[in-house]
Amino acid sequence: MSLAEQTAAVAGGFWQDSAKTGLRSWIFSTDHKRIGLLYLYSVLGFFLVGVVLGLLLRLELMAPGATIVTAKTYNALFTVHGVVMIFLFIIPGIPASFGNLVMPIQIGARDVSFPRLNLFSWWLYATGALVVLASLFSGGGAPDTGWTFYVPFSARTGTNVSLAVFGVFILGFSSILTGINFVTTIHRLRAEGMSWGRLPLFVWSLYATAWVQILATPIIAITLVMVIAERTLGLGLFDPGRGGDPVMFQHLFWIYSHPAVYIMILPAMGVISEIIPVFSRKPIFGYKMIAVSSVAIAAAGSLVWGHHMYTSGMSDTAVMVFSFLTFIVAIPSAIKVFNWVSTLYKGSISLEAPMLFALSFILLFSIGGLSGLILGAAATDVHVHDTHFVVGHFHYVMFGGTGFAFFAAAHYWLPKFYGRRYREKPALLGWAIMFVGFNILYFTMQVLGMQGMPRRYYDYLPEFARLNLVATVGSWILAVGLVIVVLNLWRGLFRGEPFTGNPWGGATLEWSIATPPPTENFEEDPVVTHGPYDFKGAGVP
Amino acid sequence: MFLTSWETRVKMLTVSRRGALGAALALLLLRGIALAQPGGEAHKHQEPIASGVQVGLDERLGAKIPLDLVFRDETGRSRRLDELITGPTIILPVYYGCTNACNYLQGGLARVLPAIRPVPGADYRVLSISFDETETPEQAARSRKMYLAAMKDGFPEAGWRFLTGDAAGIRRLTEAAGYRFQRRGADFMHPVASFVVAGDGMIVRYLYGTHFLAKDLTLALVEARQGRIGTTISKVVGYCFSFDPASRSYQFNLLRVSATVVILCCGAFLTFLIITGRSGKRRSTGEK
Repeated sequence: MSLAEQTAAVAGGFWQDSAKTGLRSWIFSTDHKRIGLLYLYSVLGFFLVGVVLGLLLRLELMAPGATIVTAKTYNALFTVHGVVMIFLFIIPGIPASFGNLVMPIQIGARDVSFPRLNLFSWWLYATGALVVLASLFSGGGAPDTGWTFYVPFSARTGTNVSLAVFGVFILGFSSILTGINFVTTIHRLRAEGMSWGRLPLFVWSLYATAWVQILATPIIAITLVMVIAERTLGLGLFDPGRGGDPVMFQHLFWIYSHPAVYIMILPAMGVISEIIPVFSRKPIFGYKMIAVSSVAIAAAGSLVWGHHMYTSGMSDTAVMVFSFLTFIVAIPSAIKVFNWVSTLYKGSISLEAPMLFALSFILLFSIGGLSGLILGAAATDVHVHDTHFVVGHFHYVMFGGTGFAFFAAAHYWLPKFYGRRYREKPALLGWAIMFVGFNILYFTMQVLGMQGMPRRYYDYLPEFARLNLVATVGSWILAVGLVIVVLNLWRGLFRGEPFTGNPWGGATLEWSIATPPPTENFEEDPVVTHGPYDFKGAGVP
Repeated sequence: MFLTSWETRVKMLTVSRRGALGAALALLLLRGIALAQPGGEAHKHQEPIASGVQVGLDERLGAKIPLDLVFRDETGRSRRLDELITGPTIILPVYYGCTNACNYLQGGLARVLPAIRPVPGADYRVLSISFDETETPEQAARSRKMYLAAMKDGFPEAGWRFLTGDAAGIRRLTEAAGYRFQRRGADFMHPVASFVVAGDGMIVRYLYGTHFLAKDLTLALVEARQGRIGTTISKVVGYCFSFDPASRSYQFNLLRVSATVVILCCGAFLTFLIITGRSGKRRSTGEK
């Protein structure tokens, strides 16, 4: 009996209630919960692949010179690490997995508006992922351009860029369709009484994210088609010798890819906004401002792409405008952080695993966000551009932010869907080791960057050796923490103690239904009479 | 610069800055023709270039040509430019005694004008203006007769005027347009280019070379009409095409159009969702 079958046998709910059986009951299911779990397993699998590649990168950088791989292999490693982590893990990570699992229940719906489209989105994701994986082992081998696919190199390299880019193109459509589905669901399928002012903040963040997915993703699709056309037809779109413009690629790429950063971080912020009040036993502080700031981040974040290009030859005016707009984005981000901290104030804080991950999110995201301002200011950016400072900053925001929020969400919601829970002590131990390893690894990277160590080089000057060794040791500590966390979750969810009722004390709708949720989520259509953080109204002690 | 005697006769010279490509193309064209002349290379000799004004074209897009200038029309009657330029106008700086490039330029235009949709006289007008102050209205009238006859299908006389003027007026006009030419004996060295002005004399586009594309000409006229009431379709066309300085032609602006389509679709989608509101029908997922 497989683990899933064992779980179904004990857990009941949507695990059992399917007309199909075996693998077909999953890969052809239109149940948002099953699709959410499909995404979860997929993204978690790719996350672990990305982690292994990241560890190899750090191992190579442990000492100067060629340590374990050649320069060319190193180029391929950091490219594939980036592509896998960005496009296969972190973009679909929280919205597609936890969004699918939780959002329809949180708004009182039985499913998303377009369940078949939802399944089709997952199939597109799986197809895109397979194409990306195929590109690693076919043609000229794994791409070596970096995940940004910058021209002119991406137009000329003999590696298998075209196939990888085509895979990302397909993944983009998956993202757009999920966005359309979520926006429609949130507008159309809210339960009676679920007004916009009663939407859980996780739903608000998914709503803002979905609009970014819909508006920005077509641009990367067009851009990637242009790269393929450049490589196969030699159109000269980005070749200045033939009237093209390589900087145009950078504009087009970042017009999508910077908003994509908000596709990654906004749902994470939504998760934190759910967990903080529940584990503080206190209504969230500044509900409206947090909701509005999600939309504000999505809007302002779509106008700041040029801050990736200060050294690419833009006009001084453009640099100043983009720099100013970048600072504007810090405002709604800070609003969220201050509101979370205010929620904690005088709360009855319970330091369980989801809360610890959420609290560390606030710290790590703040470090990442503030280091982002150093990069957003044109003068300081020129100093640290293309150094390890950027790598450190990015990982603070993406891993320290979204990654930790992903694990916060996993510890918070997955027991609800499995009907079993993980063990608390290993979870805390794993979190602590992760937190320590994370900071050793990425803070050291930021220091290295300030000292001038460039990114994307497999070798470096001897003066960087000591800190690189420290960072590599940090990566091992982080990996140990990750293994503990993932194994504890895995074991707990399939073989752990039963998880029933509402042990966290949440006031949102998912905590009002059976565990695991039934296939149709609600026995009867709910009528919402209280806000998402109105614990008294929900009758939560 | 070394030029064949034949090339010198047709007065082609490279032009500086933005006019370089159009003039260089014309130079290549004429050089090809020159080499095809029997013994063309044999007559090659160095032609000294007079000092003074350097031949060339400085694009002054957005600048206005003085409309108070007075030129003579084909009948010898004095006409202020603001009498003739009342809407989009194509101005061809030429001289009627020119034996080559100016003929190609006007001939190229005569070939394409019948093919474009805007109506001559009503939607636009053409002005050939001689920069040779010694030329007379009679010469202008001969040119007019020739090109109108070439167009056969009744191009209105008022649609294409052929002007001559005095040296001062010519200088003011050409300087305002950034058009620099030089007299060489009885002939001239000059860029092969024309330009389109709006009704208020503002230069909206330069057109290079002797070969006109109907699309480019039409779009330049559409551009010149902006600010005045134009047809909806021409506004849409003007929005979808933009001038590409590199190719010196109007190109379909894929990015602008696709971005607009995406935004309009998203706007319509959001409007639909807001108008229809929450669905009254609770959806059952049916078989999973």
